[in-house]
Amino acid sequence: MIALAGNANVGKSVIFNYLTGLHQHIGNWPGKTVEKAEGTLHFKGYRIDIIDLPGIYSLSTYSIEESISRRYIAVEKPDAVINVVDASILERNLFFTLQLMELETPMVIALNQIDVAKKKGIEIDVEKLSEILGVPVIPTVAIKGIGIFKLLDKAVEVAGKKARPKKVEYGEDFENAIRKIEESFIDYDLPYPRRYVAIKILERDKEIEEEVIQKNPGIISIAKEVGKKLEEKYGHSCPTLITSERYRIAGCIAREVQKIISPPRPTLAEKLHEVTTHKVLGYLVMGTILLSMFFFVFAFGNLLSETLSNLLYGLKPFLTFILETGFLGELFWGGIVEGLIAGATIALPYVIPFYIALYILEDSGYVSRVAFLMDNAMHKMGLHGKAFIPLILGYGCNVPACLGCRIMETQRERLIAAFATTLIPCAARTVIILGLVGRFIGIQWALVLYVFNLIIIFLLGRLAFKALPGEPTGLIMEMPDYRLPHLKTVLKQTWFRLAEFLKIALPLIIVATFTVKLFEEAGLLEAVNTVLSPVTVRWLGLPEAVGVSLIFGVLRKELALIMLANLLGTTDFSYVLTPIQMVVFTIVSMFYIPCIATIATCVKEFGWKKSFFLTVFEILFALALGGVVFRVLSILVNLF
Amino acid sequence: MSIEEPGKKEVPLTNLKDGESGIVVSVKSGYGRAWGLKKRLMDMGITPGTKITVVKTAPFHGPLEVIVRGYRLAIGRGMAEKIFVKVERVE
Repeated sequence: MIALAGNANVGKSVIFNYLTGLHQHIGNWPGKTVEKAEGTLHFKGYRIDIIDLPGIYSLSTYSIEESISRRYIAVEKPDAVINVVDASILERNLFFTLQLMELETPMVIALNQIDVAKKKGIEIDVEKLSEILGVPVIPTVAIKGIGIFKLLDKAVEVAGKKARPKKVEYGEDFENAIRKIEESFIDYDLPYPRRYVAIKILERDKEIEEEVIQKNPGIISIAKEVGKKLEEKYGHSCPTLITSERYRIAGCIAREVQKIISPPRPTLAEKLHEVTTHKVLGYLVMGTILLSMFFFVFAFGNLLSETLSNLLYGLKPFLTFILETGFLGELFWGGIVEGLIAGATIALPYVIPFYIALYILEDSGYVSRVAFLMDNAMHKMGLHGKAFIPLILGYGCNVPACLGCRIMETQRERLIAAFATTLIPCAARTVIILGLVGRFIGIQWALVLYVFNLIIIFLLGRLAFKALPGEPTGLIMEMPDYRLPHLKTVLKQTWFRLAEFLKIALPLIIVATFTVKLFEEAGLLEAVNTVLSPVTVRWLGLPEAVGVSLIFGVLRKELALIMLANLLGTTDFSYVLTPIQMVVFTIVSMFYIPCIATIATCVKEFGWKKSFFLTVFEILFALALGGVVFRVLSILVNLF
Repeated sequence: MSIEEPGKKEVPLTNLKDGESGIVVSVKSGYGRAWGLKKRLMDMGITPGTKITVVKTAPFHGPLEVIVRGYRLAIGRGMAEKIFVKVERVE
């Protein structure tokens, strides 16, 4: 068992993909929404399990990712850890390496991106670094596969020897303090290295403190006493002091092993950075890139969707021939096959190009520039800059947009972003807005509705931000140098994501389609309309047929309008609906529920409970809003 | 290579102009929920005594782009206000 650990953006996943090829499995850590990537490979007669730990900057418990990684290395004790280090940012990466070494697991360092470092004018004495740390250091260029074989070879070697890394000495005062604490629990057995425990309780790490308290609370008071002396001497709190000390050592090592030849001139990556974060050009570039992404996803998606749909519907005569027509045949076709087609033609064609585009933007480092530019606007909604991307995508299709919420760091931010995203009028809802209000009342009123929608999203986003408990959000984000995305990694990530999506979304879509079809075949639609009429007719002031249309709209939003035309017997809505009814119907369809594919996506990302709550809230909210709008508009019309 | 002079005032990072550098003196925070953010800032290398350079600020009072320990970091304005530095003026 070998674990890959390191900072974000250092090329960890490229190494992981290189090592494991297609023999990998991506899931979540038990009970967490943090991605867990595992894979296997055969090497020199060994079967090696490889696990790719999340990219993190420290081993404290600031985030779920950090706790998970730490727990995994300390408790599961992999045979070796491969620490992937970005050679061009050695100091910060070594800060993490030092923490890994405290855990005393056999390890190897992959000094990655040395080609990039060289371009930036940084040369590293690999042997010296290896000697100082007591850990093998292998220079690698992961995207070209350079050094990977040697890396694996060394990892197997240290795992076999159970070679521990050297102890890295901190300053004298710290070493004395650590020793004193270590002595205090000499009689107790803990599942971690002693020195590690001593450092962690000096750092006031909550998790370790609790474990120690269970053995003997006295130890904590000794640590507090020792810590107090340090704090008095240096004038900072212990956690600050230890972090500073680690960075001091990391800095010393980095300066000792690296030679900085000042870079000849700004690299292309730096020039690109300048342009993409420029206060005017940056926004222009962003607009262009996001729009082209939007068009790429939807042009490609529409094409694929239509082709697939024609192809699949072409099968209908063939299938009905086999099954014969009749109740069961209809049910099979309308329920199960239509469900499959809906899944294949709505979700798939948009999800695939979306993932590719998103991973390219993320892998290249562009997402962090967008976040930088949009941070302030998103803050008003309790989110930070990165949320802008899913929101924009929501205008195309909510499904990929919800999936895109993964780029947020905490679960809370993901949920708020997803919530806001599901309220964005997607392409299907655009059909309703333009096809009803735009066509029969006027395009300017359609635009008014878009603005109205944005205002509501903004208000609800703020509300969700206030209502959901959690830390205030703030942007602390590395802006890595631009680099060419690694296409193979992008495609692989897309493929695994897609498989995961299908597993959850397809069954849900089929079940829903089947249920609706069952109702239709059983002739229950009339009854449904009647049952819903107190809400649709009395409260919203709409025709009775709206009940069933709205239910069909859950399958795909534009169906709400198509069904309405069917049930009212005309596509010229100006005969059957008043302008107020059109506006109310459009507003309700805009907000009332995420479509089934979006619900399925939310279930995948956030679990049943949260998705259910979100769905119910949106239904109630849309109905309440629709009724209020109906009354307000009626009063206004009477006044003028 | 510290060129700080004694008696210089501590100012929040947001007071620095584009291109100016400072030496981090402290990161202020309560012990409440903001504690995690302070820890995060320090884990990213913003510890007392570190040199930090403001490259630019995003428009509309947006986040700051800084260089610290040889890499580029974006810090939200709210947090940048809590980082106190001694200014190093470039002559």
